[in-house]
Amino acid sequence: MSAPRAPEGSSPTPDPSTGRLPRRVPALIVTHADLAQALVRAAERVVGTIEDVTLLSNEGLSRDDLQDAIEACVKDWSEGGLLLTDFWGGSCHTCGASAARRHGEIVIVTGVNLPLLLDYLYNRDRLGAPELAERLQQKGRDSIRVQRGVPA
Amino acid sequence: MSWALHRIDDRLIHGQVLVAWGSRLDPARIWVVDDGVAASSWERDLFRDAAPGIEVHVASVAEAAAAHAEEAGAPRAAFLLVRDLDTAQRLSESGAHVEEWNVGGLHYAPGKEKVNDYVYLDERDREAARALLLGGSRLIVQDVPASRPQPLVALAPALAT
Repeated sequence: MSAPRAPEGSSPTPDPSTGRLPRRVPALIVTHADLAQALVRAAERVVGTIEDVTLLSNEGLSRDDLQDAIEACVKDWSEGGLLLTDFWGGSCHTCGASAARRHGEIVIVTGVNLPLLLDYLYNRDRLGAPELAERLQQKGRDSIRVQRGVPA
Repeated sequence: MSWALHRIDDRLIHGQVLVAWGSRLDPARIWVVDDGVAASSWERDLFRDAAPGIEVHVASVAEAAAAHAEEAGAPRAAFLLVRDLDTAQRLSESGAHVEEWNVGGLHYAPGKEKVNDYVYLDERDREAARALLLGGSRLIVQDVPASRPQPLVALAPALAT
């Protein structure tokens, strides 16, 4: 099964030699424990098999090792990409910022959640990394709402 | 009240510090004491922005030693973070007296031996730990407030001299 398609009318044409869409924005999800894996498993329940998303846990890693591990994941991103991390100020975020600094147009979005990840999947083939990051920030925020119980 | 936590943790500012210890002790200031971070304007900015609502001071060992006693008398709680035992020992040698160091995270690297899931030591670490103990500091292993605090010497008997 292929990755989810972009919304109708906005899909660019795949490159005939690789079958891939041009300028897909790659993503690395870096989190505590196995949250990244769990998020992707949950997203796959909604949209089917997901490709081109890399997952990393900070489990047991020092700052230096986590930074090296992130760099290894993003070093081939010639045209930038997104780092999705669990929260601002955590090691995934600060090590990601240090690693990203050396690799061009990499944008970090903290507070990754399921609606944000799904929105990434549906827009990564039509927006560049900076615009996509702005959009995901808004989507992630908008997805957090309070529903108060109303007595029957 | 000031000093509420002196912590040795190779991740410096991160989730356990901000969320777990931060919620428990409500620091107004965090001192990141690290010569490497202090020497890089970009890394200084990264850590200053890492803890919204908390004032982050990034200092070299020498700067932190000079400011340590004055900070002790400042209002509200403060944390001090170093990345390794060697930095803690150098801070101590430079004149900052710390009664208790929280050993919160010294992760695996080649050549280091396991003490528990989040503390690994090599001979250089053990030398620094012995010097800190001889200087009168307690070294207490505890990653988050919910964990049981344990003296490092109890977990690493090779430290006993």
